[in-house]
Order: sequence, then structure tokens, then C-alpha cells
Amino acid sequence: MSSILTVNGLQKSFGGIVVARDIDLTLHSGRIVGLIGPNGAGKTSLFNLITGVVKPDAGTVALAGETLNKLKFHQRIRRGLSRTWQNIRLFSSLPVIDNLLVATHDYPGERLVNVLFRRAHLARHNRAARDKAMDVLGKVGLAGVAHDRVADLPYGQQKLVGVARALMGDAKCLLLDEPMAGVEGQSYAAMQRVVREVAEHGVAVCVVEHNVAFIRDLCDEGVFMFSGAIMARGSVAELIRDPQLTELYFGH
Amino acid sequence: MLDATIILQILWTSLATSSYYVLFAVAFALVLKVTRLFNFAQAAIMTIAFYTAFVAVQWLAWPAWAAFAAMMAVTLAASYLLERIGFEALRKRGVSVMFVFVFTFMVSEFVAYVAMLIFGTWPQTIFPTIFWPATLIGNIAISAWDLPAIATTIGSLAALFVFMRFTRVGQFMVGVADNPDLAELYGINKRQIFLAAMLIAGVFVALGMFLYGTRAQVLPQTALSLMLFAIAATIMGGIGNIAGAAITAVVLGIIQNVSILVISSEWQGFLLYVFLFLAIVFFPSGLRLPRRKVRFGTATREIAPEPVAPAAESKA
Amino acid sequence: MEYLYGVIIIVGLYVILATSFNLIIGYGGLISIAHPVFFALGAYASAVLSRDFGVPVPFAMLAGMVVAFVSSIALALPSLRVSGDYLLIASIGFQLGVLEVIKNLRFTGGPGGFTNIPPFLIRDLGRESYVLLVVVVMIAVILLVRWIARSDYGRAMSAMQDDELAYASVGRDAMWMKIVIFALGSGIAGLAGALYAHYFRFIAPEQFEILQSAAILTMVVVGGMRTTWGPIVGALLLEAVPQAITFLHLPPSVLGPIQGLLFTGLVLVFMFFRPQGLVPAVDVWRAPQARAGKAEEFRS
Repeated sequence: MSSILTVNGLQKSFGGIVVARDIDLTLHSGRIVGLIGPNGAGKTSLFNLITGVVKPDAGTVALAGETLNKLKFHQRIRRGLSRTWQNIRLFSSLPVIDNLLVATHDYPGERLVNVLFRRAHLARHNRAARDKAMDVLGKVGLAGVAHDRVADLPYGQQKLVGVARALMGDAKCLLLDEPMAGVEGQSYAAMQRVVREVAEHGVAVCVVEHNVAFIRDLCDEGVFMFSGAIMARGSVAELIRDPQLTELYFGH
Repeated sequence: MLDATIILQILWTSLATSSYYVLFAVAFALVLKVTRLFNFAQAAIMTIAFYTAFVAVQWLAWPAWAAFAAMMAVTLAASYLLERIGFEALRKRGVSVMFVFVFTFMVSEFVAYVAMLIFGTWPQTIFPTIFWPATLIGNIAISAWDLPAIATTIGSLAALFVFMRFTRVGQFMVGVADNPDLAELYGINKRQIFLAAMLIAGVFVALGMFLYGTRAQVLPQTALSLMLFAIAATIMGGIGNIAGAAITAVVLGIIQNVSILVISSEWQGFLLYVFLFLAIVFFPSGLRLPRRKVRFGTATREIAPEPVAPAAESKA
Repeated sequence: MEYLYGVIIIVGLYVILATSFNLIIGYGGLISIAHPVFFALGAYASAVLSRDFGVPVPFAMLAGMVVAFVSSIALALPSLRVSGDYLLIASIGFQLGVLEVIKNLRFTGGPGGFTNIPPFLIRDLGRESYVLLVVVVMIAVILLVRWIARSDYGRAMSAMQDDELAYASVGRDAMWMKIVIFALGSGIAGLAGALYAHYFRFIAPEQFEILQSAAILTMVVVGGMRTTWGPIVGALLLEAVPQAITFLHLPPSVLGPIQGLLFTGLVLVFMFFRPQGLVPAVDVWRAPQARAGKAEEFRS
């Protein structure tokens, strides 16, 4: 079981508020870690720090042995990170499938040179990308809406598209930010299935969630955060049973 | 070659003439700080201010004080209309930054063309002459314009400082500048505060244009260049930092004037654009003054210049 | 007849300018007022090289385009490193500053302008050939921008404009895309400048002032951003109107401001009552096959 993502001594404050206190965290290939804690604990901030959206005051982030500290957000993604957003952030001007197509690891269409002169290369890539996109959409049960506008989908399906998009880049490490918030029914079951399958393929997964059932069913271990610091680690069952942690969680 | 007297003269004159630059910069910086809008329509207000005074003095033969009063009244009215009819409508629609830019820029252009139509394209000044009697103090010529100009500027800045620190509206302005949504939750009327900021900026613009128009020539397009100076000073001084903008305006004004010693006069206009470019390349966050800690509600927070680019998510 | 050719060429050049500006502001989402200055750089570079350095006109024109292209990168690179808003402010400085430089340099002819620019094609093949040249370039530019917008690159541009943070979160580099778009659009403006210079054979700084920024911006905004026909309609409309006014035989001191008033007034009116412009853009980007309704993409 190899470690994919290593976080050491991550530290960050905004003004007087400490959002990350000396955070150490390791994500292993094939393991699903649940990141839990009350609002304001610093969970999404941690994702922002790991992905490079926010610059830390101290500490290192390494992916498969390579330090990411000097890399920009999009560069870290290309090294093998992937994330979803609390407020989804789909591309509203693109149909569902195009949201996925633009998220492949390499996107030759990003270079004008390819679009103008390397048509064959582009076509080959697009064929493969479309196959993959339809495959991923099929896994989350959305193959039928591939060409619909994003705005026409119900909230739960939009969230699934967000996760599907995050899977297009062949990431080594996947960070999911509250994927279940506002989701129920078939989308819920689909989400669980997809996350489990991704982990089985060797991806290191970390999920921020408030939905205790989801965490309990899915995660191999839990990490409890409070006020910017990691308070406890262990099996999810243990963490849930701990009365002190429960008080911290519901006390807010 | 470099006579001490000449240097001192240039320093003095540039200090005096930086007075209007400071006023324009502070007007721009204040509106940016409180409303978070780059008010490219400030050039329109500036143009309206100048030509009102011009018409009052040169066409209607009013005495200076009456012309000044008229200028102030018209400028405030224009600022009021711009805020209530223009910016409020844009805010209600939730338009993009591009929309606001095009709108404010076009308003300035529109006013410039109206001015061109009415007043023609030759240079004008408020009074028929821009020559003021000068007294020699230790070999330095001090013009009768200089001291009132400097006094006006310092006085206005002091008044603004007192206003923002010690009056209710002023403190509310700081609150809205820091966090408009939080301010609303505390019961502050954002609409009124935005209007107040625009009106105060209008006062500064009127003062600045009165000073400028009694010292230099004005064309319908002049305001656009002057506004550019204000923008440069605002950026270099730190967005959200009014004192920084004021100080930067003085420094830039002095540099521009002193540069006559090393570069020929026709290139002086170009210097401004070099400033602007350097400002963006080397000082994207501006030259910061030490941060002030402020109590707002129960949390103690530092007031720091906010970046213009959208901030990343941070809560959870 | 010669008058008509002049009008056609002017309109054609404005269509090129509006279309290339639409690429920058409509598809790229970049706010800039610096388009006329690249028009100027292309014109001056081509004029100076061909008249004073003996460079054959076609090469001088290409050189003009390259000068515009490279200088636009010099403007965009430092600005976009900070943010898109800074590009706007830097573009104002660049537009005004470069024109100041041109006004003060001797080899550009200074404020009086640059005269006796070598003609191209007109002496050998007649004015009609130049008209044809401009029309051909115009059609090529229209098709190029349209092609780019509908291609995979267009998909990426659309996503980038929707949500730049999400765009980065899928591993795409927004900054470089913006620089390429800006450089391409500005380079095309430079080519238009060179075409202008070698027909009218006289260029002066006042032809490239902020009035042109307002005009081009108006054409794109009023015509309709992010469409193929929008800039064309905008350019035709905004060139037809001033031409119509000249028939009123107003004195030039009044004509200029009135044209300016019309431009800016039109933009303001449109922004309030029809912000999407005359030609509305589609709300969803679709790949060409999907547009045509073919079922290609369903095959695996």
C-alpha cells in the first residue's frame, strides 16, 4: 500500500484566524479517507492548500514523492491531483459531455497549433476522449443526458457530473469536497459506487463530508479536524463513538 | 549644471502642482475602496466640473466664488446621477466587470465628445490667464497659486481623515469597504454609503479641477489623461489604501516634474505611461502602508488591500 | 468609383478589426482598449520598413503583423500574470503611451504623420485588385475566427470564460490561452494596419486614437459578442452611419464629435436596452458535429 499524497507541517492563517495548524496527512493508494469536522474546521481550506489554490505559510505537499510546493494549481492537477468543489463549478456554457471532454489529462485542443495543423492527432484524441467520457457517464448513470445543458439537470445529477469530470484526468489522488451535500436517491447510490470503484483502481481518495452514513459505509479511516488542527485519526466507527469529538462537532 | 536653486525650485513647483493629482487620486481610490468599482467615468465628472467653471467665469462673467459654487453644485449633481441612475442600475442587473468598464469608459468618452461639440478642441482655462504673481523667497519663486493649492489639498485630506475616523457615515464607509455584506447585516444602508462615497469623490474632483483649470490648459480629452495618473497612483499606492494613493500621487508628480532635468519636455507625457506599466509589473499589490487593526463586531481583523481578482473559496 | 473603393476597403478593414477584437473580448473574455495601437504598429512598421528600408511591401506587411503580434505579448504577459483587470489598465497605458512615442519620434514622421508610403498592387493591377485583396483577407479572418471558436479550442475558451478556477481544476492553463488569443487578435489588427497604410499611403497618430477604441468596441458590443455575424453587422452599421452623415456637409470640427457621440451613445443605449447586441449569441457551445445534428458521437 503505497503512499500517494504526503502533507507535512502545513500551516496557514488569514489575518488572525488559523485555518491550518501544523497538518500532517498521508493518503494511500486504494484507501478512502474521510475528513470530518464541524463547519469552519478548515477542511476545504486543507483541500485548497493541497491543490495550491491557497499558498501555505509553511509546510510541504508531495505527490508520489514529488514536492508540489512551487507548482501552480493547474500544474498540480496535471501531476495527478484532482478535486471537486462544494459549489460544483460546472462549465455552464458547455453540454454535459463537453464538461468532461475539456477535463482530460492532455487536451490537445488547448493548443492552437494542434487545432490548426495537427488535425489527425486531434481527431484520434477526441475519439478516445469521447469513448472514455461516455464510459464514465455510464458509470454514474448519466449517459442519457450527455448532450443536455448543465442547467437543465437536477442538482444531484450536476454533482455527479462534477465527480465524473474529476475522473477524466486519470488522477492518482482524488479530493472530493462534500459530494453528498444535497444528493439523495439514485445519485447517492451511484456516487458511492463510483468512489469505491475509483479506489479499487488504486487511486488515493479523500472525502470531506457531513453525511455520517456515507462516511461510515465508504471510508477506510477517518480524520477529525477542528479549528484548523487534526484532533483525531482512526476508524470511522471509533471517531463517531468518541463523546469528546461528538461534542466538538455538535457544539458548533 | 545642477544648481541647488533650480532643484529646489523644481521640487517646490512639483510639490504644489501635485496637489491636484492628489485630489484626483484620492477621489478614484475612495470610490474604488468603498464601492469596489473602477470608476472610469471619473473623467466625465472631471470634464463636467471644469467646463462648468469655465462657462461661469468666461461666458457668464461670474465672480470666482460664484463660479466655484456652481462648479461644486453641478459636479455633485453629476456624481449623484452617475451613482443613482448609472451604477445602481448596473448593480441591480448584476453585470460583469467588463460591462462596468465599457459603460464607465463610454460615459467619459460621451462627455468628452459633448464638450468637443460645445467648446471646440482648443485649450481652455478657467480664468483668462494662468499666470499668477510670484514672490521670491530666498531665490525660489513661490506663485500665489501654490500655497492655496497645497492648503486646499492638505485641508481636504485632513477633513476626509476626520470624517472617516470620527463620523458615523465615515465609519460606516470603512465598514462597507471592508465587508459590504457584513455591513448590511449590521444594518448599514449600503446604497447611502455608496452615494456618500461618490459625492465626496465629486467634491475632490471639483476641487482638483478648479486648481488644475486655473494653472494649466484643458482640452476635452485632458481629463482622461489626468484620470490615468490617478489610476496609476491608486494601483501603486495599494488598492484600498487612500493614504497610499495620496502619497504616491505626490511622489509621481514630483518625479514627473523633476524629470525635466534629464529628459526633454515632449517625452514627459510618455513618462506617465512608463509609471503605469512599472506599477503593474512590479507593484501589483501596491506599496503597502502598515496594516491597521480594526474591531468590527466581535472579531479583530486586519485591514489589508484586497486583490481585484476573485478570491478562492476559504470556508469549511 | 475611387471613392467607393475607399469606402469598401475601410469597411473591410473595420470588419477585420471588429472580428479580431471579438476574438479577444468576446471569446477570450479579455478587456482591453489597446486594439487601435496594434493597428497603428502594423501600419507604421510596414510603412517605415518599405519606404525607408526598401523592404518589399508584402514582406513589410508581414513584418507589421509580427511587430503587432510580439508587442501585444509584451503587453499581455506581465499584465495577465497579475490578473485580467490589470490588462485593462495596462492596455490604456499602452494605447496612450505608444501613441505618445510615435508622436515624438522623428523616424515615424512625428505628429504630422508619415507620408509617401509605397503603394502596392494599385500601379500594376489597378485599385480593384487592392479591394479584392482586402476582401479576401477579410473573409479569411472571418473564417479563421469562426473556425477557432467552433473548434476544440473554442470549447476550451468557453469553459475558461465560464469559470476560470474550475478550468484550472481540470488541469488547463488559462493564462497562456489568454496570451495566445490576445496576440493572435492583435496580430490580425497589425495586418489590417499594414493593408491600410499601403492603400491610403498616409498615416498619422490621430487616426489611431481612443476614438477608434470606442468605435471598435461599439461594433462588437452593439453587433453582438461571441458571434460570427455580430462584428460584421456592427462594422457595417457603424461605418454606414458616419458615411450617411457626411452627406449633411457638416464642418469637420462638428463631424468628428458627432460621430463620437453616435458611437458612444449607441453603446450606452444598447448596454441598457439590449446588452446582448443585435446578433444574439447561442447560450451553449456545441461541437460542430453536434451542431449539425449528426449522430457520430454516439458511436463508440
